This record gives sequence, C-alpha cells and structure tokens, in this order.
Amino acid sequence: MDMKQALFELSRCAGPSGAEGDVFETAEAILKPFVRSVTRDVLGNLIGIRTAKKRNRPCILLDAHLDEVGMLVTDHERGFLKFASIGIDPRILPGLRVRVCTEPPMYGVVACLPPHVTDPDERGKAIPAKDLRVDCGLTEEEAPKRVPVGTRIVYASEPFLMGEKIVCGKSLDDRACFVILCRVMELLRDEELNVDVCVLGSVQEEYTGAGAATGSYNMQPDEAIVVDVSFAETPDSKEGCKPLGSGPMIGIGPVMSRRMSEELRSLAKENGIPFTREVLPSGTGTNADAIQICREGVPVCCVSLPLRYMHTPLEAVSLDDMEHCAQLIAKYILSRKEGD
Amino acid sequence: MLLDTLKALCPLFGPSGLEDEVRSYIRKEAEPYADQILETRTGALLVFKRGRVKPKFTVMLAAHMDEVGVIVKEIDGDGFLRFGCVGGIDRRVLLGKPVFLGPRRIPGVIGMKPVHLTTEEERKSVPKIKELYIDVGAANQKEAEALVEPGDYGCFDPAFLELQNGFVCSKAIDDRLGCALMLEKLKEDLPVDAWFAFTVQEEIGSRGAFGAAFGIRPDVVLVLEATSAADIPPNKEANQVCAPRRGPVISLLDKGTVYDAGLFRLLTGIAEEKGIPWQVKTRRVGSTDARAAIAAAGGCRAAGLSAPVRCIHSPSCVGSVRDFEDMKRMLDAFLEKMEDYHG
Repeated sequence: MDMKQALFELSRCAGPSGAEGDVFETAEAILKPFVRSVTRDVLGNLIGIRTAKKRNRPCILLDAHLDEVGMLVTDHERGFLKFASIGIDPRILPGLRVRVCTEPPMYGVVACLPPHVTDPDERGKAIPAKDLRVDCGLTEEEAPKRVPVGTRIVYASEPFLMGEKIVCGKSLDDRACFVILCRVMELLRDEELNVDVCVLGSVQEEYTGAGAATGSYNMQPDEAIVVDVSFAETPDSKEGCKPLGSGPMIGIGPVMSRRMSEELRSLAKENGIPFTREVLPSGTGTNADAIQICREGVPVCCVSLPLRYMHTPLEAVSLDDMEHCAQLIAKYILSRKEGD
Repeated sequence: MLLDTLKALCPLFGPSGLEDEVRSYIRKEAEPYADQILETRTGALLVFKRGRVKPKFTVMLAAHMDEVGVIVKEIDGDGFLRFGCVGGIDRRVLLGKPVFLGPRRIPGVIGMKPVHLTTEEERKSVPKIKELYIDVGAANQKEAEALVEPGDYGCFDPAFLELQNGFVCSKAIDDRLGCALMLEKLKEDLPVDAWFAFTVQEEIGSRGAFGAAFGIRPDVVLVLEATSAADIPPNKEANQVCAPRRGPVISLLDKGTVYDAGLFRLLTGIAEEKGIPWQVKTRRVGSTDARAAIAAAGGCRAAGLSAPVRCIHSPSCVGSVRDFEDMKRMLDAFLEKMEDYHG
C-alpha cells in the first residue's frame, strides 16, 4: 500500500467527533484488502477482522481513532456563524480556512480584523473563540436555514509532503495511526496468525472515548494495542517530546500492561526498530484509558506516533516513524505463540 | 472576464521586493494591447495605451502587484526557520498556516505548540514574530539549508476558494484586484489615452509608485485597490470602516492622502448616475499609492476606488465579485469622463 496516498485521502475526509461517516468509506476501502471483513457498529466504529488459522484463539484489538477535532455552529449573527470547539487552541483560528459540513459542504474563513483597525498593543492578545466568527458569504436571512445550529465545521487544510518523508495535514491525529494499522495487516497478509486480530477504527475519541469503550466491549479482546499520536519535538516543545524520526513511542505506566510494554521494547531492540519510551504516570489521554477498564479489564499498551502541532490545521508526521510503528506491531502479533 | 483574470493573478508569487512572477505574467498579457511598455529601475511596469482622444490631463491608473508575505531570516540548529514579515501583518493570522518559500516554493508550516502542552497563561497571548518558526520538514540544519536560505521570500496558500453568494477567498486580493481591473481595461478600446502603472512595494510604503509617477508625471491618478472591511461582529459599528456588498469605496481621506474633492464628486456623480452603490470609509485608516503619486513629481489630483475586502493582509482575504464588477463599471465611466475633464 502507498501509506502517503492513504493518509492524504483520509486527511481530506471530514469526520469530527460524532459525525465520522465521511471517513468510514475511505477507511474501509484502505483496510479491506488486508482483512476478512469490515463492519460498522451502532456508533459508527469501523471493525475489521482477520481470524487466526485455528479456532478459539485469543483476540488482540488494535485501535486508532477516526475522528478529528472540529467546531460546532452555536448561533448566527448578521450572516456570520458563531461556534464552539473542542480541543482547539483558538489562537490558531484567525484567518483560517474551514469547511462547513453542510450538504453540499461550503468553504468559510474564520474572520479576522485587518491590522489597520487594531491597536498595536491589542495584536498580542489571543482572541477567545466566542469573539470569532466564520464567514461563508451568507446573508443574515439564509444563514440559520442553510447552516443550522449543530452543523459541524472542520479545518479545510489540503495535505502536502515536506521533503520526502514528512506528511503535513489535518487529522493526522489519529488517521496516520489508522494507516499504520492497515500497514500492519498488510505486513501480516501472507503470515499464519496464532491470534485473531481486530482492527478498530474508533469514533468519538476526542470527546469521550465512547467509541473505544463500545468497540472493545463488543469485541471482547484478550489484549489491546492503542495506536495514537504523541508529542514530537519542536522549538517550543521539548520536555517529554521525542524527535520526529525517532520511531514508535512505547508507553510505560500503570495503565499499560508491564508485560506488553517490556515485550514491545524487546522486540524493537531485537529487530533494530528505533523506539523511545513514553512514560505516562497516570492516565494516557488515549483510548487505552477506556479499553483497560472494559468488562473485567483488558491488558493494554500504547504505541504512539510522534506528531508535531497536534490539533492544529497542519500537523506533521514522519512516514518512517509510521513504517516502524507498523513493523513493531506486526512483530508483536507474530510473537503471540500457541498456548499463550 | 474579470473573475478569471483575478483567479489567474492571485495565486502568483509576489511579495514586496520580489514581484517578478506577477510582473512577467502581466507583461505577457498586456503586450498585445499596449502601445508602449516600460519598466522602472525598481520594477514597476508602466503600460501606455492610446484611446479615442488625447485627454487634456494625463491620466494614470495605479494598482500594486506586490502582496504581504514572509522572509526567511535564519535557519536554526535544528532545521527550523526564523522569519520576518514583509508588509503589515497581524501575527495572530500566521499561526498554523502553510507558507511556500523561495524559488522552488518549498512548502512549510508556521508551527505552534499543541494546546495540550500550553498553560492558561500562555494561551492568553500570541508569541512574538521572533518566537515563531517555520517547519520545512528538515531533520537538521544541513537538510534545511539544502531547501531554503536566509533572504528567501514566502507566500501564503495560493488556493482560490469560492464561498457563497459571489464571495471569494484568496491571498493577495489586495491588490491583484486592481491589477485585474487594469488588465481587463487594457483589452478594451479606451476613450482616452491612459497610463496603467502596475507598481511594486506598495505594502512596505508605496516605494514603487514614487518612481512610476516620476516617470509619467500624471495630472490625474486613479488608484484601484482593495481596502479594509472590518464589518465582522463583534466589532463595533463605528470601527467597521466599510463592508462588502455596499459597493465600491470612493476614497475621501486616508492616512496618506487627501483625495481631490473634484474627482471625489466626479466619482460619486458617476455612481449616482449609473445606480451603482457606493460608500466611504468610516475611519481614516490605510494608505495607497496616491500619496506617492502626489509627492513624486510636483503634485497631481488623486482619486481612489477600492473594493471592501475582509481579512486584508491575511492568508484569506474575502471579497464580493459584485463589488469588483461595480468597480469595473465605475472605472469605465471614469475614463469616459476624462475626455472632457478640465479640472
């Protein structure tokens, strides 16, 4: 598979939390060649299954979420849209191009005042989201009808490549990791499996984790690997961040299964896969938190992809890191032996 | 067609000081229609076309080819770029935006710390420009140096978007709109001889217009611009300046110029006669090449027509095609009036 191409296609889909429908079709098409079946549950989770050669084998769940951060229309004012957002730093918004998820969708701009009318000392102050408006060129009369309250808004970024290896675009959190899962299944395609593998493209991670909780409840896995993004180093983010290109970040902490965490690290070392440790002292801030407490409990570990500019319109990941994550997870699955 | 010309001009790479791509395009388009084409030593393009009659007063139309952008200042040890702004940009519109740098248009992003890692205090203000950085995906300084160098210019996203009700969104509508109006006019028969001055470096102080006016020594200058509409709630009405869909802005007064009262009356007369809506700016903000034209060669009468455009000096200017078309109609009538204009 062409991971870059797959990621570009997924990045272009509009799938804010709770309205991931647009992503499902594209995600299904990418995963389908590598699994036996792809289905959809009541919340919209994507479930891809490939079973082991023998029956009654344990099941390992691989999770990556399909939803993205976005905004929601809350009111109208003179044809402009007022909105609320989840997980978005409003400082990213002035002058931003967005896509309003009407049928058909429409483009808009988060309006900004020109410097000519602002005082120089104002220009350092962040503008709160409540004082920002989306401009689609609508009239006062038509705005409430054509863009009703509750309509979703997502970034309008077009993905692009920087150099040869760095993909830049929206919703790489967490669709880059869904692409990793597809690549895992591709790597396993010609291998005999000793475990059932369930790929969960979960919904609503950015809000409540309800997708992962539901998906793992229904699939009843014996263990799970959650593949989400984590923080890559930039000039203004160093502490706890890892450089792009340093490979998968393997989670260590109370929520993680110690056994899984150690095995992943051993496998990485044995196979020459670059990796770093991500120490998570309490919650992980990922679907691992919901999955670990599912039913009677599920051993879970995080394998995270370093990502820059999380939750902004242009996030950045390394294709090399994505490949290394996939290699590591594939090795882990293949290491699950008979009688485990 | 005006909109088609605008769609061709806006994406071109032309920050103040490096307008070459725009100038080449305009020159190529203007050549078949021009009686004379000159370039000043600082890069302004001056096109002369004869009309039905030679007017009593030398007429010059002016629009600027340059746009606001960024310029690379240095490459740091980790391969990130520090930069400055070319032209007046409110830094709040820079965060998280794509830029395209240098002759190879290397793509990059102006990065920002993830919200998860910020404190409440940090979120109240926006980092200064010297604290901002551009990421071109280089693993280190050496890789970055292979892609860009200090002094490389950068422009915003060139994609041109259509919004609703004839609104469009693009970088550089200020002032490729003026250039588009002039190019369209050049293709038509003119009532009077006229100079079309495609200036440079307007965004850093009308620096190209001085030379242009000096060379032409016009008696009448009509500047065609995009101007700052600030009709965005919750901005107070008194601070809104002007608004799209209320027609072209006829210049009365701004930070650089007192426009000629007679020409102001001429323009408002045209608007009333033709049933074209028009407005004036409710705040004295902004400046145009008119101030350079007046200062450059002993004075002249200046007039200005502008389209009210939202989010000026940002990557996403928003304007109404109807206003642009109304400007064209006013320009047509203005040149007709120059036949009999005796001041």
